[in-house]
Amino acid sequence: MVNTAGGITGGDRLSVSATTGPGATLCLTTQAAERAYRAEGPVPGRVETRLDVATGATLFWLPQELILYDGCALERRLTAALDPAARLLFAEPVLFGRAAMGETLRTGLFRDRVSITRGGRQIYRDGLDLSGAITDRLARPSVADGAAAMCSLVYAAPEAQAELAPLRALLPMSGGASLLAPDLLIMRVVAADGHALRQTLLPVLDRLTGDSLPRSWRL
Amino acid sequence: MPCDADVLTLAQWLSPAYPVGAFAYSHGLESAVADGRLRGAHELEAWLHDVIGHGTGRSDCMLLGAAHRAAPAQWPEIDEAARAFAAGRERLLEAEAQGRAFAATTNAIWDLALPPLVLPVAVGAAAGLRGLPAPLTGAMYLQAMASNLLQAAQRLAPIGQTAGQRILAHLTPLCRDVSGEAVDAPLDSLSSAAFLSDIAAMRHEPMEPRIFRT
Repeated sequence: MVNTAGGITGGDRLSVSATTGPGATLCLTTQAAERAYRAEGPVPGRVETRLDVATGATLFWLPQELILYDGCALERRLTAALDPAARLLFAEPVLFGRAAMGETLRTGLFRDRVSITRGGRQIYRDGLDLSGAITDRLARPSVADGAAAMCSLVYAAPEAQAELAPLRALLPMSGGASLLAPDLLIMRVVAADGHALRQTLLPVLDRLTGDSLPRSWRL
Repeated sequence: MPCDADVLTLAQWLSPAYPVGAFAYSHGLESAVADGRLRGAHELEAWLHDVIGHGTGRSDCMLLGAAHRAAPAQWPEIDEAARAFAAGRERLLEAEAQGRAFAATTNAIWDLALPPLVLPVAVGAAAGLRGLPAPLTGAMYLQAMASNLLQAAQRLAPIGQTAGQRILAHLTPLCRDVSGEAVDAPLDSLSSAAFLSDIAAMRHEPMEPRIFRT
């Protein structure tokens, strides 16, 4: 996926929908990191994603990092509907500014909603509301302890249970993995910056994609 | 002002003596202490402040409020949302096990017919049926959560009785404010930003030996 606008700012509306047909395998990623730039005006940028995964199908939803710039305003919503016999690997890394590039995030607005259903039943949901002094919030000890990168990951597959121990072994102290059900594995990790986050994420994604991570992740 | 009977009923439901087994759950504090993230009273207060203000405390109040204003036919949908939102297997365990125990005891005494629901949904549903005000229910729920986590922390780290009660007193206005904001929020607001608290809950799962179930 390529956002030819080069980023998202206030008032932008993007929508993505993808359907994986019966028995098919689809891997979606972005050509580069997505950027949520400073927003002017009262309307935040909006990104809506709808994913459908049919019986026997596999979808890898692996966008590269979303970078939040100072003064950003972004609302994101993703809904994934899985057939009872579908597989989904979902990972969405977020960078709260990039201090090493002089891009410090101080304030902004970021609202994120994720809902995954299987056979019509909700099996996973996540919500994040950050507004105002985001960096001060991230500095808090049970929030991110000053870390500026975060990723949540969901692996919904019949064999998910077998991946728990190997994944745990790949995680630093700032990451955790858990099985919500034998076929539903979730993981969350925070890291100092985008580089540190990739060091953790790449081996995890290599493992869960069977070494088929798109090349744009290596550039 | 609510009448005294309301306060006293809620005090009973949310007391450490109510048989839900709250003492068995540390909500990830045990692994946070083991990882060196919580060493004393100051760090504990900051940690609990965010669990109440930005983590499970706030999201539980949203669930509690949604169940409080819902008809019984809607409870299963709210419960499904709560389960899908669980930050890990042990978070689900503590919400499920305490909710089941809360419903069993409350049904038996107050002649209600609560199905097995996760704890915040069960408490909200019961308070709604009994006509107990949602903001007060949420505030007392949060204070009970904070008090229970303080006692857990005192078994794990050198935090004295007076220091612990001082932390609880500091957190009391927050409990009131968070409940006031969260109990009326639509369920779509369900969110959490206490990443490291959620990660600590996941990191507790393989921990051995352990004092707490979560």
